[in-house]
Formats: sequence, C-alpha cells, structure tokens
Amino acid sequence: MSLLVAENIRKAFGSTLALDGASLTVEPGEVHGLIGSNGCGKSTLCKIAAGSVGADEGHLRFDGREGFFGTPAAAAAAGIAVFYQELSLIPDLDVAENIALGHEPGRRGMVDGGAIHREGARLLARFGSSGGKGLTPGALVRDLSADQRQIAEICKILARAPKLVIFDEATSSLDGDQVQIFFEIVRELREAGTGIIFISHRMDELFAICDRITVMRDGRTEATLPVATTDREAVLTLMVGSALATRHRDEAPPRPGAPVLEVAGLSNAVLRDVSFTLHEGEILGLGGLHGQGQSAVLRAIFGADPSSGSVRLGGMPHARRSPAAAIRAGLGYVSGDRGINGVFLDRPILENMAIAHLSKSRAAVFRPRAFVERVAGIVARLNLRFAGYDFPLRTLSGGNQQKVVIARWLATGPRVLLLDDPTKGIDVEAKADLYAIIDELAAEGVAILLHSSEDEELLSTAHRVLVFGSGRIRADLAGEALTPTALYRAAYEVSAA
Amino acid sequence: MRLLRHPLVLAGLAILALLAIGEAVAPGFAGAGQLRSQFVIAAMLGVIAAGQNLVILAGREGIDLSVGAMLGLGALVAGNVMDGDNAMILAGLGAAVAVTGAFGLLNGLGITILRIPPLVMTLGMAGVIQGLLIILTSGRPSGRAAPALTRFIIDPLVAGIPGLVFVWAGLAVLLIWFLRRSRAGLNIYAIGTNQEAARLSGVPVTATRVLVFALSGAFSGITGFLILGYTQSVFIGVGNAYVLPSIIAVVIGGTPLSGGTGGYTGTIAGAILLTLLQSLLNAMAIEPFGRQIIFGLVLIGLMLIYGRQDRLRV
Repeated sequence: MSLLVAENIRKAFGSTLALDGASLTVEPGEVHGLIGSNGCGKSTLCKIAAGSVGADEGHLRFDGREGFFGTPAAAAAAGIAVFYQELSLIPDLDVAENIALGHEPGRRGMVDGGAIHREGARLLARFGSSGGKGLTPGALVRDLSADQRQIAEICKILARAPKLVIFDEATSSLDGDQVQIFFEIVRELREAGTGIIFISHRMDELFAICDRITVMRDGRTEATLPVATTDREAVLTLMVGSALATRHRDEAPPRPGAPVLEVAGLSNAVLRDVSFTLHEGEILGLGGLHGQGQSAVLRAIFGADPSSGSVRLGGMPHARRSPAAAIRAGLGYVSGDRGINGVFLDRPILENMAIAHLSKSRAAVFRPRAFVERVAGIVARLNLRFAGYDFPLRTLSGGNQQKVVIARWLATGPRVLLLDDPTKGIDVEAKADLYAIIDELAAEGVAILLHSSEDEELLSTAHRVLVFGSGRIRADLAGEALTPTALYRAAYEVSAA
Repeated sequence: MRLLRHPLVLAGLAILALLAIGEAVAPGFAGAGQLRSQFVIAAMLGVIAAGQNLVILAGREGIDLSVGAMLGLGALVAGNVMDGDNAMILAGLGAAVAVTGAFGLLNGLGITILRIPPLVMTLGMAGVIQGLLIILTSGRPSGRAAPALTRFIIDPLVAGIPGLVFVWAGLAVLLIWFLRRSRAGLNIYAIGTNQEAARLSGVPVTATRVLVFALSGAFSGITGFLILGYTQSVFIGVGNAYVLPSIIAVVIGGTPLSGGTGGYTGTIAGAILLTLLQSLLNAMAIEPFGRQIIFGLVLIGLMLIYGRQDRLRV
C-alpha cells in the first residue's frame, strides 16, 4: 500500500489558483523527486501534505489514514517531517537543543540535558568532519554557517524517525562532500522503509538519488516518471510545456542604441564576476531560478549593497557609493518588495511621488503645485487614479501603490531603470499597464534592466535575457536563441542534446 | 461627524471642557489674566516639545531624554552671556542655541555612528550635562536675564497677549512650514515611516537623524533662554520637570511614539491641554497625591478617546 496518496488537490490563494489537479503518490522506501519551475505549486503541495496549508478540494491518504491534516502538529504526530527552505532553527539555542526541540527527553517537566547532547552528538557524527569547524552539539545556531545550519536541520528531522520526509531544497547550501553524505543518509532512510520527497532544482541530484520524478507545471501534475527509463530532456520538455513556447518577443529594439550601462566583474557576497552591457532603449531581462543573483545585481548597481568590480554609466565611472549618488547619476530602482523597499504608507501620495525627485534636484524647498504639474502627465500615462494627492498611500490598492513608486522614478527622468520583480503580488490589470509603460519607456530610449520571477513576463517583454545561476550569468539569450526551452535549459543546467 | 473625529477638533473641545470645568471649580480660571499666564507656561512646554516632536517623528525608537538637562544648560549659557545686559539678549540666545545644538549633535552622532539606542544615549547625555552644570556652578544659580527680555516675555505686547506667545506662534509657523514644505522636513517623515525605502529614494538617512537631535538640543536651549527670561534666574535642575511632559504633549498631540506620522499642530494642542490640566488640578486644592491620581487617570482617558482617532495628516 502506498505511503502517501494525494489526488486532484485544488488550492486557491485569493484569486490566484496555486494548485489544480495536483497529484502525488509516494511508496514506502522510495525517494520521489519533485520538480517544476518557480511558482508551479510544488511547495504548496508539500505544505498541504504536511498540514500547514489547507486544501480546497482533493483527497489525501497517509499511512492508511484518510483525510487532510488540520495542523502541522497532527501531520508530525502521524510521522511526516519537513525540511523547510526557510530553516526552522532557533538561533539562540544550541545545536543539540534545536535537534531535540519539541520532543526533549526527560520526565515530570524536567529536561535531561545530558541525553539531549548525547543524542545531538550521535546524529552530528553522521556528517563526520564534513560539517567543518564549530559544528558541535553545544554550538549556538546563530554562530553557524549556512551549510552547518542545513546539516543541523537535517539532524533535527532524523531525530524524529519519521515515516515520510519532505526535503524542500535541502541541499542548496551544501558543498559536494556534504551532499554525498546527505545522499548516504537518504539511502539509509530508504533502506529503512522511509518515504522521501526530494524537491530540488538541481537536475543532477534528482537523477542521482531519486527512484521516480514527478513534474509539475502551473499547479498541475504533468507526469510521474521512473528515473530508470527517462532522461533530463524529457523532464525539461514536460516542465516547459507547450503553452509557453509561442509566447516570446521576437523583435529587436527599434534602433540599436549606444551602450549606457557597462558592468564588468561585479562581485559581492552573492555575485560572482558578473559582466554585461545594457544599451539605450533596450529591455534586458534577468532570469533563472529564484534568488540566484538577479536582485543582487540590481541592488549592487544602485549602490544599495556593497560590491567590487566596475560599472560605467554613459561612459563615466559609476562609484555606487549610495542610492542617493546613483539617483543623481540617473538611475532608478523599483522593488517588488514594496512594503520594505518602496512605500511610505502613511504619507500622502504626492510625497511618495516626490521623494526621489527632491533627492535628485537637492532643492531645499518642496513646491507641491509645481511638482503636481510635473507629474500630471506621468500619472495619466500610468493610468493611475486616486481621490487626491493628499490621501495617504495606504488608501490605494497594491497595483496602484506600485504605480506611484514607478511615478516616483519617472519624475526623476532616469536614463536607466532597475526593476526588481516589479509586478510581484499586483493585479493582472496593473501588470498589463506596467508592461505597457516599460515598452514605451524603452521606445523613448530609457535603458531597462528587468528582473522578473515569471518567465512568461521575461519572454514577452525583454529583448534579451541573462540567465543567472549561483550568482553568475549562465546564458545570454537573444533573438532566435531566446526561447522558453533555452531559458529552462540554462536555469536547470541541462546541456543541449 | 467626520469633523468631530478630527484630532484637532477633539483637542479644541477638550481644551474648552477643561476651561469650563476650571471656571466652575475656581471662578476666574478662564479669565483673561489667568489665560495669559497659562499660555506663557504652555509656550515653554510647546517650544521644548517641538524638538521632542521632530525626534519622535523620525522614528526608530527616537526619544530625547536630555531635553531637561539641555534646558538647564541653555539657561546657564544665556544667563552668563546676558548677565542683565539688554544689549546682549540676542548674543545670549545665540550662545544658548549653539551650545545645546552642539550637544544635540553629539546625541545624533552617538545614535547613528555608534548605534547607541536613543533612550540610552540621551539619558546618558542628560547625566553628563547635569554633572557639568553642577561642576560649573557649584550648584548655585548663575547668570541673570536681561530686564528687557523679562518684560517682553511677561508683559502684554499686543491685545493683552505677551510677547512670548508671539514667539511661540512664530516658531510654530516656521516649524509647520519646515515639516510640510522643506526637503529636510519631508525626509524626517520618510525615515520615520520606512527607513529602508527612504534610503533607496536617496534620502540622507544618517544626516537627517543627526539633524533632528541637533534641532531638539537647540529647541531645548531656546526654552532655557525663555524660562530664564521668565523667572530671571534659574536653578540648574529647572528642566527636569519638562522631560516627560514634552513627550506626553507630543503623544496626545497625535504623533505616535513609533514616529512617521503626526506633526506640530497637534503638539501645540497637546501642550495647551497638558498645561491647563495641571493648573486645573492645582486650582482644585486637592492633596498632591490625589492630584497625581487624577492627572494620571485623565491622561489615560485622553489617550482612549483621542489617540485612537485617525491621525493627523500634517
């Protein structure tokens, strides 16, 4: 009998359909790979199995028990353990205490500290010396490096002796040796009859460890394939699907513009030797899997994060000392994380629009009437409607708030716009308006660097796309070469057949 | 009904209510002579609360506990520069503002560059200044106000209103304009609302935060100068009674301690409310402990009806 059966799961978040027709079956003693592009629903499916998200429709059976789990605790009690991408460790407890958290040995409310540390030491010993210095049962989690934290998280799961383990991107911070040890542990779990769901974007790992692979796309399960009889090309084809294949922009920029932004050898904590040139009127897309350096490039160029390497703007060196300096040099930056990086919710719409212009002009006095005249055209162009410039920004919808942020930058008359996933979480209509304005701006000669987490948006908007992986540019795709398949191939590191 | 929910309207109604109660309890409370001295006292609180207001608006747990010590420092400097000489009034004011502004600047640098929490930094600074004052004066009053300053502050200038109230009104107009129309003023709101978004919009975050603490020092220095003019000579501890009221005036004026929203118009109302409340309790001839209980309860009650309304959009 199968360990886990999830059938025809449907889940909507508000108006967004995250899952529709998602199914997954895991046998005891099976390593089951789960792959799909950003936002295809694989994490949501796992959360539903683990009881941390409720399903709208569908059917779940785990270990002979019918029905969905109401809480994560119920799923954990039934024997499901989850390795979270956002690690669940507590920084101020030590490694052994974290491993034992929630099922500490001891009695009558007293915890047996010695037993906790002995058990922690036993589990950590599986990783031998590969964890590096400082990974001891008594070390505080806050002092550990990213790979050591992942190892501690893995030990935490092993300590629970679960029947099903969901490893969501468990290897993303591990080096080669650590991955090999992790695989050994996974194989031991399999021998012991544990079912394992292994989510990874690394095709090599999936093919190295899995028995079967399930491919998801747009919230649906496309197929489940035995690894023995399939290959990477087949998996990739299922991931790309057919709907995307026709949707890409084929025309080049109307006129070949002069180079505006020349980036050479840009490196920092995230980036590794990134070099490219952006031209006048060009929309250069930044693609790839989530968090591979796309945002880091934009922030480094804008002077928001430190970086080494050289950036030239209109032929002149651009020092990247601060965002203020970047703004005066003619850059603008729009983030998809509006709440943190963009908006002043309690301030009037007018001030939200004026703030960057004031910084750039260095005028001591703000003249509201003159500024309204300056932005009236931009507001009309953005199709932006509001009751009055004096209303607090929080009275607007997310899409209109983002338009206000765009207006803020257009008011500065930028030469280069850095767009960091600008359409994240906004409605379809506002998205269409934003993409229309991006096209218009490019036609007027503004150079645009666009990171989008949605491949379709990149394909339909960008003239050229740089695909990022591990902080490097993996591919530079333009013209005929810019196809959905090529984009996926570069993102998932599958070499051409 | 919308109008009734406006904080300023509420504050106005509360002020009228206090005057009515005062008049009923102690006839003459709302009379011209009483009102004049009330406004003189409110003006002192209003000026020192102006600096506190800027610090709190700029957010990040911004608070200035050194305003009282700064006030004493400003009074001492101004008194010694003037030393009873009418020709030295402006020099006395300038010296007081320069010295307290400089100490405020140190507050700002400690908070931004050394990353010391504002509460700790300004409390420490208060101790340092207080100690310096004792060393410099041996604890005795030192320096005298110029007689012309005292007359200007107390005597009716126009329509029975003392000069000090005009000074306060002038400062208020300047400050409200500064907050609404100057780039620096808008930057204060921006860093108080969302510091990271402000930085990414080109706002000089550090400079702006240092500026609010320097201005708070300067406003405390001005208050010290004015109080010296009012009482002619002051004890160094005179400012201690102003620290908490300066914060309360800001908060009941509609600027939350988290900053980013509110403004000086509300603080003016807050300063008047607080002054009237205290003097009403004095007029009621209740035992001091009873006065404290009532004062505390009224403050809490005020926040219940007042602090939960839509905040001032100024």
